[in-house]
Amino acid sequence: MNGQAAQGAWARWVGGTHVFYAVPLLALAIPLFANQYTQFVVNLMLVYVLVAVGFNLVLGNLGQLAFANTALFGIGAYTASMLMVHAGWPFWAVILPAGIVGAVAGFLASVTALRGIRNYYLAIVTLAFGELLRWIYIHGEAATGGTDGLAVPRADFFGIALDSETARFYVFLLIVTVIVKAVSNLLQSKIGRAIVAIRDNELATASLAIPTGRYIVLAFTLSGSIVGVAGSLFAVLIGHVAPESFGLIELILHFAMVLVGGLGSLFGSVLGAVALTALPEYFRRFPGLYEMFFGGLLIVFLLIQPRGLAALCAKWWPALRDRYFRDR
Amino acid sequence: MYFLQLTLSGLAQGAIYALVALSMCVVYRATTVVNFGHGDLVMAGAFVVYLLVVLAGMPFLVSAILAVALLFVLGLLIEVGLIERIKSGPHIGFALMCIAFGYVLRGIARAVWGREVLPMPRVFDLSPVMFGDLVVTADALVIFFAVGVLLMLFFGLFYRTSAGRIMQAVCQSERGAALVGINVPTFHGVMWGVGAALGAVGGVLVAPLTLLHPALGASFLIKGFAAMTLGGFGSLAGAVVGGLLLGVAEQWVGFYVSTKLIDITAYVVIILVLALRPNGLFGRAVAERV
Amino acid sequence: MKQSVHLLRVGIAILACALTTIASAAESTGVTDTTIKIGIMGPFSGNAASYSKAEIGLDAYYKWVNDQGGVNGRKIETVLEDYACDSAKGIAAVKKLIYQDKVFMLHGNSCSAVAMAIKPVVLEAGIPWVIAHAANGAISAPATKNIFHGVPVGKTMGMAMGRFIVTKPGAAKIAVIQHTDDWAKSYCGPAMEFLASKNIRPVVEVSFERGETDATAQTLKIKQANPDFVIACLYESETAIFLKDAKKFGLNAPVMGTAGTDLENTLKRVGDLDTVSNYYVPHMYADNLDGPRLKRFVEILKKYYPNESVTAFSLISMGSAAAVVEALKRSGRDLSREKFIAELDKIKDFDTGVLAGRITWTPADRDGVKEVAVAGFVNGKPAVLKAWGQPL
Repeated sequence: MNGQAAQGAWARWVGGTHVFYAVPLLALAIPLFANQYTQFVVNLMLVYVLVAVGFNLVLGNLGQLAFANTALFGIGAYTASMLMVHAGWPFWAVILPAGIVGAVAGFLASVTALRGIRNYYLAIVTLAFGELLRWIYIHGEAATGGTDGLAVPRADFFGIALDSETARFYVFLLIVTVIVKAVSNLLQSKIGRAIVAIRDNELATASLAIPTGRYIVLAFTLSGSIVGVAGSLFAVLIGHVAPESFGLIELILHFAMVLVGGLGSLFGSVLGAVALTALPEYFRRFPGLYEMFFGGLLIVFLLIQPRGLAALCAKWWPALRDRYFRDR
Repeated sequence: MYFLQLTLSGLAQGAIYALVALSMCVVYRATTVVNFGHGDLVMAGAFVVYLLVVLAGMPFLVSAILAVALLFVLGLLIEVGLIERIKSGPHIGFALMCIAFGYVLRGIARAVWGREVLPMPRVFDLSPVMFGDLVVTADALVIFFAVGVLLMLFFGLFYRTSAGRIMQAVCQSERGAALVGINVPTFHGVMWGVGAALGAVGGVLVAPLTLLHPALGASFLIKGFAAMTLGGFGSLAGAVVGGLLLGVAEQWVGFYVSTKLIDITAYVVIILVLALRPNGLFGRAVAERV
Repeated sequence: MKQSVHLLRVGIAILACALTTIASAAESTGVTDTTIKIGIMGPFSGNAASYSKAEIGLDAYYKWVNDQGGVNGRKIETVLEDYACDSAKGIAAVKKLIYQDKVFMLHGNSCSAVAMAIKPVVLEAGIPWVIAHAANGAISAPATKNIFHGVPVGKTMGMAMGRFIVTKPGAAKIAVIQHTDDWAKSYCGPAMEFLASKNIRPVVEVSFERGETDATAQTLKIKQANPDFVIACLYESETAIFLKDAKKFGLNAPVMGTAGTDLENTLKRVGDLDTVSNYYVPHMYADNLDGPRLKRFVEILKKYYPNESVTAFSLISMGSAAAVVEALKRSGRDLSREKFIAELDKIKDFDTGVLAGRITWTPADRDGVKEVAVAGFVNGKPAVLKAWGQPL
């Protein structure tokens, strides 16, 4: 009897969501095994975790197609860089502004939703908005460095210079963990549920006196803030921001991460980001293979596993079962 | 002073945009799917023509017809093999699927043609025709002629023949059409084929003008969207008008304002139209009041 | 039970990966008894893929060197990495080469923006880096401990372009058409600076984006300004489109292009001599691409990459490769990075056989090649020119 109860308690503990806290704790050990290159890849993974989480909010939880993600990513990176280069701000001070500017951009990209623009039209507007932003980076010579871009100065986190991949890793891990936990809370809050409800049936949601247009814009704004912060991390990691990095080519990577991870699943975003950051590293010697691989991966997942890796994992690990994803 | 010339060049460019927009609109009207990989189908058309002309040594006209036919088959296969399969999934799935196979096409093009920038040999070796100060190249003439004939054929088919009536029926109500005995899945496949073929014509026409590289498709996608948005989503005639207008607008903006703005004219058009008059010029209601 | 076994498996996998990483930290400078590892970064995919022909040429040259017996009993092992002209990929690639593949030196790079992005990483690692293609002089100047420029930089080319233009009698009004990217700026910028120093400023500047197929607005705008000379900093396709449109609309001013195009291929792309007869380009080579002095280099390329077509980029990096091989040979059997860098700094007036200019490197000046000529069509054939209307 006691044994069974104990087993039940253990199963509940492992099956519960507090197991997720183990992930960042285990991750703290990574620098022991990594060289400068592998640590860099891990740092890039962290940045993309934020990107995927932010994008998934709009793509998966809200269910709207959007093409502005790379633009939001870029505006966060540029905001951070411009403040560091032109105003001399230290790194820790530019993270929040990057998020705020990202939020504003997300708002602007989606504001037509207030007038009832949805789905494909909204997607195309976000696409146009994104490319417009990129044009501004290219032509904003003095401020943005134009096509040469901006070299990002040494990052300073409250006095600690982040000049090694390891130092950056710890800072990134902290920021990413905090934000992912915040998003997790958000999804379980009234706002999160409203957003998901809109995806499942906008008419029904509106009939409950929930202003759907405003929630759509809110979702985009929040998404923009998360991706904007990711942009600031990216700027510091790469050390250089240029318009080329934030175009449509990058977008397919963002799409792939969210889809492969699992539309609407928070853990899926993490999985997708980790998996798809590492994979391109193997394709560098074969031109054309990268594009074929990504396109093919998306197709395969769409046909066979549209709910992504998270759904696969959820079979063994009930904690991952996404309560909020439903097939239409 | 150059107004007429700019307008003419703009119309020639716009004719290609019109074709791309029309082909996207056909697919959209028939299957309610917006093909985000359409630009890459246009690119595929151009590349197939190149292959046939340069590597197989066939004459241009034959290659063009073959390329269009091949793309028709490709469009059909994509619809039947990929799009139909995910009919039951979320709408986002369609968009992602289209983006995905567009990418695969691009990857194949890149893998086969790698680092090279491919020139098409001169197709029409006629010297330009001059109307006073106005220069009309053989290429522009061919584009106008081809697109004009195609549009007449297409609209004639759509509105006058029984095949066209079937198309209209399915566009209006899929269930109703099925009830009447129209084979809707086959129809979908065929319409994707038609869309791809039309796009291929655009690619074929553009191939002699520019040098081919795998990322050619991206800009056509945007221009196609802008044209569709301007003309009114879902309106076939609107797509054509939108395309022509866009081409002309680009030239005017480029000359009278700044050449730096040519690149973003399409984007500005999209944003302005959707913000101010979402229905475009001829479209039906787009904004959903919930 | 299932979950903990699963976790255990994951843990073992992580440990295994870690151990293999640590184990491979054996040879630290990229030199073994039989090999020298050289990391070659190039934009093999992406929008700038045609520029990776430079890195292909580089790889072919090193393979040829191996077939000739190698260097001091060692063969050169090349490690190619693609960065698609994207900074993020560039940083990943260079870190992989330095910290994972542990190469002896870096050679290559066609994209200036990415080169600037990875410069801090290379400086910190202290690994020798020879730029084989990218034109931005800021990569190697002011001189640092380990970075060398093996091709003429933008400033040199801009000056050659500008100097040629002023030799045209009556050249006073200049028009500029360029892409809005750093590549075009690396040519047009220095060219305009040189002309500005002679008090010649452009009467009209237009931009023509990559991927556009029609240059009507740009051509007409330029024609309206009636310039004496046009500077066109455009890639291969767009140059062809512009030249064709110029002919179409009767814009007859001579056009100065960049080293991104070559006369032979531009002629092929536009299809007729008339369109291209007024086109000039900066010329870095010792001969025309199909000339006798470059023949053996073309043969080297064709031997290892038979399907590769020869353009302006294909042979460019062989110049710095020849210098690198010379420095490696002079360093002797006891090879180290410090020794190698010292030998590179002793290279003086070195005739690479493929570049027109000779390479000279000193610790204070790493801008290796300072001579660039201009080429144009003379009697229907490409020829090198001393000044306007004066073949060599």
